[in-house]
Amino acid sequence: MSEQPFLLWAEKYRPRTLDEVVNQKEIVARLKKFVEEKNMPHLLFAGPPGTGKTTLAHCLAHDLYGDNYRQYMLELNASDERGIDVIRSKVKEFARTRVAGDVPFKIILLDEADNMTADAQQALRRLMELYTATTRFILAANYPSKIIEPIQSRCAVFRFTPLSKEDVVGRLKYIAEKENVKYSEDALETIYDLSEGDMRKAINILQAASALGEVTVETVYKVVGLAHPREVRQMLQLALNGNFTEARSKLRDLMLNYGLSGLDIIKQIHREIFSSDLKLPDEARILIADLAGEIQFRLVEGADDEIQLNAFLARLAFMGRKFKPT
Amino acid sequence: MSENLPWIIKYRPRTLEEFVDQEEARKTFIAWYEQWKAGRPEKKAVLLHGPAGTGKSSFVQAFANSYNLELYEMNASDYRRKSDIDRLVRVAASTGSLSGRGKLIFLDEVDGLNPKSDEGGVEAILQLIEVSKHPVVMAANDAYSPNIRSLRDVSLLIEFKRLRETAVVQALSRICEKEGIHCEQEGLKEIARRSEGDLRSAINDLQAIAEAYGRVTLELAKALSAYRNREYAPFEALRRIFNAKYIFQARDAISSANIDYDTLKIWINEHIPTYYDTPEEVSRAYEALSRADVYLGRIIKSGSWDLLAYAMELMGPGVAFSRKTYKGKFVKFTYPERFRLLSETRKAREIRDSIAEALARRLLTSKATVRSEVIPYLKVIFTSNPKMAAGIAREYGLTEEMVKFLAGNKAGEVLSYLKKPSRGRRS
Repeated sequence: MSEQPFLLWAEKYRPRTLDEVVNQKEIVARLKKFVEEKNMPHLLFAGPPGTGKTTLAHCLAHDLYGDNYRQYMLELNASDERGIDVIRSKVKEFARTRVAGDVPFKIILLDEADNMTADAQQALRRLMELYTATTRFILAANYPSKIIEPIQSRCAVFRFTPLSKEDVVGRLKYIAEKENVKYSEDALETIYDLSEGDMRKAINILQAASALGEVTVETVYKVVGLAHPREVRQMLQLALNGNFTEARSKLRDLMLNYGLSGLDIIKQIHREIFSSDLKLPDEARILIADLAGEIQFRLVEGADDEIQLNAFLARLAFMGRKFKPT
Repeated sequence: MSENLPWIIKYRPRTLEEFVDQEEARKTFIAWYEQWKAGRPEKKAVLLHGPAGTGKSSFVQAFANSYNLELYEMNASDYRRKSDIDRLVRVAASTGSLSGRGKLIFLDEVDGLNPKSDEGGVEAILQLIEVSKHPVVMAANDAYSPNIRSLRDVSLLIEFKRLRETAVVQALSRICEKEGIHCEQEGLKEIARRSEGDLRSAINDLQAIAEAYGRVTLELAKALSAYRNREYAPFEALRRIFNAKYIFQARDAISSANIDYDTLKIWINEHIPTYYDTPEEVSRAYEALSRADVYLGRIIKSGSWDLLAYAMELMGPGVAFSRKTYKGKFVKFTYPERFRLLSETRKAREIRDSIAEALARRLLTSKATVRSEVIPYLKVIFTSNPKMAAGIAREYGLTEEMVKFLAGNKAGEVLSYLKKPSRGRRS
């Protein structure tokens, strides 16, 4: 019977209404006020990935417009549609029509807004002013500092905090029971540790682990190991052994065949640096962590993935001679 | 018959009189040959080296004709066959000749010897030089290739320089005359300038224009060389950056590079380890390139084109002066792997993107996030639980291609579940 359609749990167990949301309580309370008043300012949702920014935007829209809310909401994602021209034409078209009903505005959700260039943000600011009578913008961003000041000042800013261990583990338990999945408490806590407060990631790990059978600490680690290729560690090891050229081919493999972005890779590197499987003196770990942080910052600023990571690996290859792993 | 010959063959110099430029190389070579004739030369072999199209092979052929020598020639494609080398060793070791003429042994493109697949090739040539009773001439683009170090050590090095522009123009005019084609002097100059001392490419350009239009004008020359330039520019820019002796040369190399900075940085990225040997130099060069790249990123984000100067300074002089001592060497710069790999993996990336497209709206997230955060876990599910995988494939309308991408060698199992008719509605 399992060849029936099967939903990804990240979709299946997403809250649909503000009442179903169990965390971010203060934010939910303020959003409910907007629903009551059928009015709201432009909103800026800021916080780490997987803390419910997009989900809450959808819940808010659902509560305002009902089940068919998606026809009153334009969803744009700045990582997929970087060009302001695309955004401008879509926004124009969407904002032109007035809404019938008791909510006098429509919603434009601009997700991952911090990926927009400064120019595009300036243009966006004009759009926000232009269509303010008929639309409200909700901007979601990981790094609010990358949103230009004039936009921030036009929005009510909501800061999303990383989810607590209780919230995440509680939710995972709820899902596991609904799905009749066998699990151990330890395993769910391990998922929390590995997902760093990112609910979407936690649920993905849970589902993938359940695909292997019972959800145990072992299966959780296995899933994460499979999803995050070993090549990252091998690449680090090669670089530290002074073999830059091969480390560089591994990097290309990760980027092209695994489809990882520079940021994905540097974050995985960061996890590896303090792993006991990597034989290194502790002072080297700290130096490498500092370097990784710098590279991550450069990537966030818009630098080229491969060049930055090559610079990182080349530095490791040079440093590695001093810290020859034993 | 001869009408169809490429001009670079048709107008190859028959004798030294027809051979243009390379005065210095010519003198050194003749002096060396005279030593041979007089008895024992200081070095038994010469190694002619210099960029492509500067006349190394043509010179040897013209010389052999002028001096009435029998030429025994071998090039990179022959080195693999030991029998060829043995044949040449026999020729070299015997004094006699059928015609009574002297002999000249010519090994072209020795830097093309592959240390792995032509194993023993270098040793065989050393042996040949050792036993030879006749002058041995070798030619290479890169005399400093580590593959041929031992050949270099036993040879007199003679450099062939890029041809002077006037020499190229002179050679081109002569061909125009013989072909009876009307050629504007300015057009020939343009071709010569763009060839940067590579007579072979200049003659090829001349033929391409002349055959297509029946005449050569400045305009036609510009149109054609602009087209060639796209592929040629990065090599030249790289050579000039890495070999810059002074800061100003590296700056010039960047500002006159004629390709956009985003492309140039990828070429430099590819070739830092090609040019530099020590980890320290590689690391310093990458740090400079990395900083340049950060500036380029800031320019795009902020629109501050003022920053371009800093990016250029780091990309040119910054990379060039990462060396500890000046080497000035020839390195074969190749087309960046990155471009090749990108085109090879295009299909797979397209499939991945279409999966991301299928899921992003349902999961309320960007395609980028689906790619990095969801697809890795889907792959785990698809390779370990075909039933669940089939269910997900059905729910999200994944195609066979997408299933294959996610499930790898487990695709068969997933697809066989998928092909059974669905019983019942969604779970």
